[in-house]
Amino acid sequence: MWRRSLSTSYYRCFGCRSSGPKVLWKSQAVRTCSAPALPAGRITPLQAVKLWKRRFEERGVTEPEQSSQYIIAHLLGAKTIESLEQERLTEFLSREQTEQIWKLCTTRLSRMPVQYVIEEWDFRDLTLKMRPPVFIPRPETEELVELVLNDLQMKTEMGVPAETEPTCLEVGCGSGAISLSLLKSLPQLKGVTLDQSQDAVDLTRENALRLGLEDRLEIHHIDVMKDAETLLSLIRPVTTLVSNPPYLFSEDMASLEPEILSVCFCCVLLPRFEDPAALDGGEDGLKVIKQILTLAPQILSSYGRAYLEVDPRHPPLIRQWVEGNVDGLQFKEARHDITGRPRFCILQKEEVKQGPQAGSGLRN
Amino acid sequence: MSVFVPITSFVRMRLTWIGSLLLRPPPTGLRCVLAAGKKDLIDLPVLVEDELEEQFVRGSGPGGQATNKTSNCVVLKHIPTGIVVKCHQTRSVDINRKRAREIMREKLDVAYKGELSEVVMKKKESVLRKQEKRRKANENLERKRLLKEALAADSKPGNDTGRKMC
Repeated sequence: MWRRSLSTSYYRCFGCRSSGPKVLWKSQAVRTCSAPALPAGRITPLQAVKLWKRRFEERGVTEPEQSSQYIIAHLLGAKTIESLEQERLTEFLSREQTEQIWKLCTTRLSRMPVQYVIEEWDFRDLTLKMRPPVFIPRPETEELVELVLNDLQMKTEMGVPAETEPTCLEVGCGSGAISLSLLKSLPQLKGVTLDQSQDAVDLTRENALRLGLEDRLEIHHIDVMKDAETLLSLIRPVTTLVSNPPYLFSEDMASLEPEILSVCFCCVLLPRFEDPAALDGGEDGLKVIKQILTLAPQILSSYGRAYLEVDPRHPPLIRQWVEGNVDGLQFKEARHDITGRPRFCILQKEEVKQGPQAGSGLRN
Repeated sequence: MSVFVPITSFVRMRLTWIGSLLLRPPPTGLRCVLAAGKKDLIDLPVLVEDELEEQFVRGSGPGGQATNKTSNCVVLKHIPTGIVVKCHQTRSVDINRKRAREIMREKLDVAYKGELSEVVMKKKESVLRKQEKRRKANENLERKRLLKEALAADSKPGNDTGRKMC
């Protein structure tokens, strides 16, 4: 009997995974923590923060204090609790505000990431809309953007002739964080971005519109694994290729945090909020990375560069693999992130050689 | 009519003059150069990255895609002086890091230049400006009061018209 229930549960899991967050939520009804009652009298924001911090702690919700602070600050129209005046924090909340706080904080009890609860998050100097199951940008990726910008800045300073129309191609737009951040910082840049997820494409489009950058960004619904030919037919060679592709090792998917991964009521481990396809890089985490690098020589113009965010174990593996498998692409360097982990790989397209000398030249 | 003497700039000029006499050469490793971009705080010390230690609350796991933490507090330590700056002002780690460095530059400025630092000077200027404003406001009130008294003295006692004019 247990076996039968498992198989039907597995089927339902597939069903609920693809139906979107609303259905997921309903199917969790049995295991949902009951919504805590609203306070009898009026309370201040500070009191609400304290109350919910304690509640999150009791229920084992991660980052109890930050969760409580971000949600309440957001409802008061601010990004952080620190940016609110002491006066405001000690002023009584209206009934409506209290109800809103209770509603959002109760959602957080289900371990939904804060970024999905408040439906937005910041990436560098941008505020982006967030929506499950589209991947939430990580802080490390802010550094990836910084890397690209510094490189492009250096090129300008060194007097390298500027492209008449510098273009950047991004694989895996997610919420649009990387592309939109680059476009915002470089008014001359034009971008092309793609994702295998329609949800991601839609969200990126929405964020581009909100930021007034939609005229400089082409967004395509393409799976780089399956539709490489389509991709190549759509673009001209670009100076910059950037990606934060799914790079987790499949075996590591099982030990992710509850915000990302959760036990469904049927006891099958599934990433519950973020799209697993945005995380899973296959057995060695390199599945999508290898595909991108295979295509890189055709995507990049001469001396064009590829910037990737990867798993800390990847850089030496990528260097080795590229040297043996990708003609015309050179592994330049690996860089650490702010926590000191190897996180970024920079590769460069070698000069397109013309004439009979092409084959005889030594690789640098 | 009183002659308004621009006290603020006068005081600042004196301080700068004294400062140029007393200022010792800055400690090794600290370069005071004009920093482009900042209109007011152009003499802030430039940070040497090798002298800084940065700390983030990121945990021991692999980080990156494997984690989704929202805590992005940046703790920046200046090794030579031991000065520590904490920044949790925004939801972006990148911006917090930049802000932490700006705050560090201001703190180093105060530490190295003391009374003559940009930060302290600006504060003094602002205090003086406020005092000046208060003085002017009081002067105006005083003038109005005297005018009122003068008008009241003009009108005859017991005269209805006189009282109406006030």
